[in-house]
Amino acid sequence: MKRRPIIIINLLIMGSILFFIFRYANDKSAESAHNSIRAFEKMTMTTNQIIVNYLEDEQHLCDIWANYVNGSAKDGTPMTADEAISYIRKAKISPEIEGHLIFLDSEERSGISTTANVADPDVFTVSYNKINIFDNIESVSDEPDVINLTRAYTNPINGVQSIAFLKNVTVLDNNGALKKGLLMRVVPLSRLEQKLVFLKGEYENVEISLIDQEGNYVVHGKSFKNKNFFEYYKSYNEASATQYDHVIKEITGGTGTMTIKNVKGEECVLSYTPLETMKTWSLLAYIPMDDLVASRSIDWLLLGIASGGFLLLLVFNSIVMMSYNRKLSEVAQQANQANEAKSYFLSTMSHDIRTPMNAILGLNEMVIRDSRDEDIRMYSESIRTAGNTLLGIINDILDFSKIEAGKMEIINVDYSSVSLLNDLVNMVQKKAEDKGLTFNLVIDRNIPTVLNGDEIRIKQIIINILSNAVKYTKQGHITFSVQADKIEDRPEMIRLGVRVEDTGVGIKPEDLDRLFVAFERFDEKTNRNIEGTGLGMTIAQSFLDMMGSHLEVESEYGKGSVFSFEIEQVVVKWDPIGDFQEAFKHSLTERTHYQEKFTAPHARVLVVDDTPVNLTVFVNLLRNTQLQIDTAESGDECIALFINKHYDVIFLDHMMPDKDGIETLREMKAITDTPNKETPVICLTANAISGMREMYTKAGFDDYLTKPIDVERLETMLLQYLPKGKVAPASCGDGTDEYVLPDFLFNLKEIDVGSGLTHCGSSESYMETLRMYLDSAERNAEEIERYYSAKDLKNTTIKVHALKSTSRVIGALELGEFAARLEKAGDRGDVETLDRELGELISKYRQLAKDLEPLRECREDKEDDRALISDEDLKEVFRALLEFCNNYDFDSVVNLVENLEKYRIPEDEATRVDAVKKAVDNYDYEMIPAILSGEMR
Amino acid sequence: MLMKKTFRTIFSLSLIAVCLLQGCGAKEKDKEGFVPRYDKDTEFSLTVAGSYSNFESLEAEFERFYEYYPNASLQYVTMDDYNNVISNALLNSEPPDIFTTNTWMVGNEKYSGMFESCEVISDPALDIDYSCIRESLIWNTDSGDVVMLPIFTSSSGMLVNMDIFEEEGLEVPGNFGELVEVCKKLKSSGYESPVMGADQFSGPGMFNCFAYPMFAYNAMESSDKIDALNGFEPSSGEIMRPSLERLYEFVNSDCIDVEKCKDEITDDYDSVIMRFFEGDVPMMFATGDVASGTAKRESKSEAFSAHPFKYRFFVAPSGDDGGYFINSTSLCFSVNKHSKNLDMANEFMRFLINRNELSNMAGLKRLIAPVDDLSFDDLYSSLADIPKDRSFSDKETGLLDPAVRQFRAAIYAVGNGKMSVDEAVASYGNIPEE
Repeated sequence: MKRRPIIIINLLIMGSILFFIFRYANDKSAESAHNSIRAFEKMTMTTNQIIVNYLEDEQHLCDIWANYVNGSAKDGTPMTADEAISYIRKAKISPEIEGHLIFLDSEERSGISTTANVADPDVFTVSYNKINIFDNIESVSDEPDVINLTRAYTNPINGVQSIAFLKNVTVLDNNGALKKGLLMRVVPLSRLEQKLVFLKGEYENVEISLIDQEGNYVVHGKSFKNKNFFEYYKSYNEASATQYDHVIKEITGGTGTMTIKNVKGEECVLSYTPLETMKTWSLLAYIPMDDLVASRSIDWLLLGIASGGFLLLLVFNSIVMMSYNRKLSEVAQQANQANEAKSYFLSTMSHDIRTPMNAILGLNEMVIRDSRDEDIRMYSESIRTAGNTLLGIINDILDFSKIEAGKMEIINVDYSSVSLLNDLVNMVQKKAEDKGLTFNLVIDRNIPTVLNGDEIRIKQIIINILSNAVKYTKQGHITFSVQADKIEDRPEMIRLGVRVEDTGVGIKPEDLDRLFVAFERFDEKTNRNIEGTGLGMTIAQSFLDMMGSHLEVESEYGKGSVFSFEIEQVVVKWDPIGDFQEAFKHSLTERTHYQEKFTAPHARVLVVDDTPVNLTVFVNLLRNTQLQIDTAESGDECIALFINKHYDVIFLDHMMPDKDGIETLREMKAITDTPNKETPVICLTANAISGMREMYTKAGFDDYLTKPIDVERLETMLLQYLPKGKVAPASCGDGTDEYVLPDFLFNLKEIDVGSGLTHCGSSESYMETLRMYLDSAERNAEEIERYYSAKDLKNTTIKVHALKSTSRVIGALELGEFAARLEKAGDRGDVETLDRELGELISKYRQLAKDLEPLRECREDKEDDRALISDEDLKEVFRALLEFCNNYDFDSVVNLVENLEKYRIPEDEATRVDAVKKAVDNYDYEMIPAILSGEMR
Repeated sequence: MLMKKTFRTIFSLSLIAVCLLQGCGAKEKDKEGFVPRYDKDTEFSLTVAGSYSNFESLEAEFERFYEYYPNASLQYVTMDDYNNVISNALLNSEPPDIFTTNTWMVGNEKYSGMFESCEVISDPALDIDYSCIRESLIWNTDSGDVVMLPIFTSSSGMLVNMDIFEEEGLEVPGNFGELVEVCKKLKSSGYESPVMGADQFSGPGMFNCFAYPMFAYNAMESSDKIDALNGFEPSSGEIMRPSLERLYEFVNSDCIDVEKCKDEITDDYDSVIMRFFEGDVPMMFATGDVASGTAKRESKSEAFSAHPFKYRFFVAPSGDDGGYFINSTSLCFSVNKHSKNLDMANEFMRFLINRNELSNMAGLKRLIAPVDDLSFDDLYSSLADIPKDRSFSDKETGLLDPAVRQFRAAIYAVGNGKMSVDEAVASYGNIPEE
């Protein structure tokens, strides 16, 4: 895996963990905040209790004063206002606390104070005329323990913000009558505030406020602005009218907690509860949210530490990973080097084994071809078999290396199913029979003759299976079956079912799984004498995989095995092969020695190899093709020949000292002044490992051929690359075409030797034809001139027609075309053209004849082993010829004369027969009756 | 390589952050200009006492002050019966540290004790720089000390519905002639009473807003007769004549329908504002104190909420050459020299007496800031254009309250047709008040 995805995954995991921590911390924080808020609420309730207790205490003290005053009145000794105040002055302990006795019904709402006016120590009068504190007090209760309290107001005596506890008293007025007065226990507000100081320890920034039902502050903390809490709320909190009303209702009506915004827009917690026993007042406890949920910062710290830790871990892990990766990379590099070493070893082994194998098998092939001694041929056959086995092992290893490297490809070509089966049976049957095994063939008659697929690999798969069957079967039989079935939904294809059954050693069930494991050879003790690498089945299975199939194995240990598979092949030609066994038997009877595929005596090939034995093998393998082969033992030698001489194909060895094949090719490509600019160059190599084709094609070679050289492949390749004109079909039988065409012929511009050879069938026939052409040339030229000068257009045209045909036969194509043009001119009576061009035609004709003159010197005698024709037969031939001529059946004339070629002619009739042949060759059929009658010889 | 890049990125970001923070800080400091004299962690409490039931603009200043002294705790206390109680409050055991004072208290024996408790703000040792305050608003004691500094000021004039003028394509009149012309046009456009106001015997009363600045100007110009005027000498009543005649001319013009004003405006504060917010009064006589109540009432007026309009404060164009800007002090602050936190009380004053802070406070309260630059508040920005010779403070007029009240009685009588100008002039000193 690459570094980037690993880091991304790590970061994602970290992110998830951090997210979890964040969520957890947040939940915890929320829980903590919730708990804190609950605790804060409890504190509010406690404060409520403290305040209530305080207020009750103060009210109680006020009640004591009042009770004393009222008690006196009740006892019939009512006090005057002064007496009452005097009493209170004595009774009160704290100098800060004052007692005011007010008569609300007086004009100025005035009365007497226990304390003198601060501005004037002689004045004890106090007036509440302009201080509106009684309006909201509906009635002062006379019941004990009921708090009658004013809002906070400014004490008119001293200007101190105070609250006052009230109680009605009865005193005597100046007239001695009883009158109602209001006794006020005036307490500085600061005393109440001091009761709340204890909270500072627990909540540093808590602010306790008291509001009345309208929201007016009785006591308020510094954060609350305006004179009214509800106005304050409205000023700094966005709320609809409904929400605003809800807040008022909540705060004045019950206990709870809400969050509000302060003047800075910060979130704050407001806990509220109505004062017990005095529901018209509400206690508000205010604290900034951050103060309550301060623990949250610890969560952030934790989160920060966790993030930092993770990042540290990531960095640490990255460093460790990088260190491991570096080591792994080094190990991988070493492994790559080892793999490269293996490849190099395989390559070297391939080259080093294949090079001597080339000599061994090549020279052995020569022995088989040339030897007439059956024993020696048998020994050589054994060498060939052993050599091929060894090559098979090497090829298996090389195939396996290709498969491992993923460079094995399936290459589909059209192939003959009969040929495929022939090759398979040829390769295995003899081995089976040599071991005394019965080789049964069950081949479907309906297998199409031409299929499309990878013939080579299919062959390899079946060979591997068949070879194994032969190897592991000591007695009994091997049955090779091939079945062809049509595929319903793919009408262009056929399914080939291949099955190989043997009576061999079989495979134990526990070994079946190891069958396709490379280099595995089970039951080694029993099979130790059986050669092989253990790769065959692995390779077969790999090839089948690539073809979309698989190998089925059924086996019973000690009794035998059945290997089978099915592959689908495209049908090119549906003709059924028929009875393959019969056909094969027939081919066996006809199978003799090696037969070359073609002859090309006029083609020239250069082969370059630093090993002289390889050169010898190469030359000898192609001896029967009559190719002209030049050899070179080094790159420099090759280049020298490359510059000076034309070749039709060049075979260039790859591995050579000093200058290898690739370097040599590079130099060759750089040379412009050479007759071989278009000559294909084929690499000869003993390196047969995967990737060779790409390498050589990239290097500039047209193709490559592996060593040891397979003569069939070599000849196939030559057929592909040699100019068609220089290739002729191989002569039948075991005789060779001993008529070597003279070199000068190939230098004649007027003649295409290849074309001539094709028309004539063999060199001998070609030479004969050429000679006849030469012999009759002058006479024909004269006759044409004569007929034309006599204005005999018809015969002139006939003679030109003859010239056209004979010229084409010998490969004088240009002259043939010229004659054809003038023949047409003659047919249409175009005298003008004939006038203008006939002279030139005759001239060229004579020039060609002159150029062919050397043929007369090449004429050589040859022992004629043809059967002598009897006189009677010859007479009969003459009679038939005469009859055919009279009937203008010239085709029959030609056939009869050609058949006459098969027989030796008695010497006394030879001249007459030759004359007839020349007449036929020159299309002078009208002269034949005269020759036969003896008028012309 | 990666480390290097990361380090560079972090370094750059840090540098940018530092620069930004420094930049912001520097800007803030320049803006404020206040440099605390004491340790910022100083813990202290201050009480500011006054008669305002609500003093949000001051409380806003508390918050700004906390930026310098976060451990401070300032509280505004509304004192009941302030004018009677403040003197006693300053003597008790829990006296306020700062308290509000008024110019009318000066010279009143009742407040002599109070003034004696005042810290001498002009003491250079206190370093309270009040140079930003208009000099004419500074009151000195007989010994030349400054013991009170104006926080808010007011004036008489009119609120102008700028949208109407814009719609009618008219300029706000600058002198009496223009006023009459504009009113004619407005009347022809359907405005029954182009100018309205409260027909009340009070400072914000419409006749007072129109005529008093002119009278005060004339009195100031006749400084030799001020004593006679203050002493109710009958002959000094002549000083009232020009302003009374102009008032007479005004109420008998197309500018105002007095009866309509009486019917539709029932008091000199709430009713004035709410009627103005109806949106069909081009000009409404008002004082700065009335104007200060507009902000809170905008949302209370359904008509204004539905159709808000731009409005500004102008002096009444009663003079031939233009209107008169008489600037009266609304509220002053004094420091209790017996304060338990005297140093910090003076520190707060040092903070507050600053062009920005005073403008902020006045802006929030919608009163006229006492500072030398009036352009801060859009509502009163027109006052900055009044020529200096027609701009003066009530202190400069030399008029005492009884003389002012006699003039107010005169204009109330003339404006309502109860007296002629001659009668009013002749009756000076004896004109029935209210």
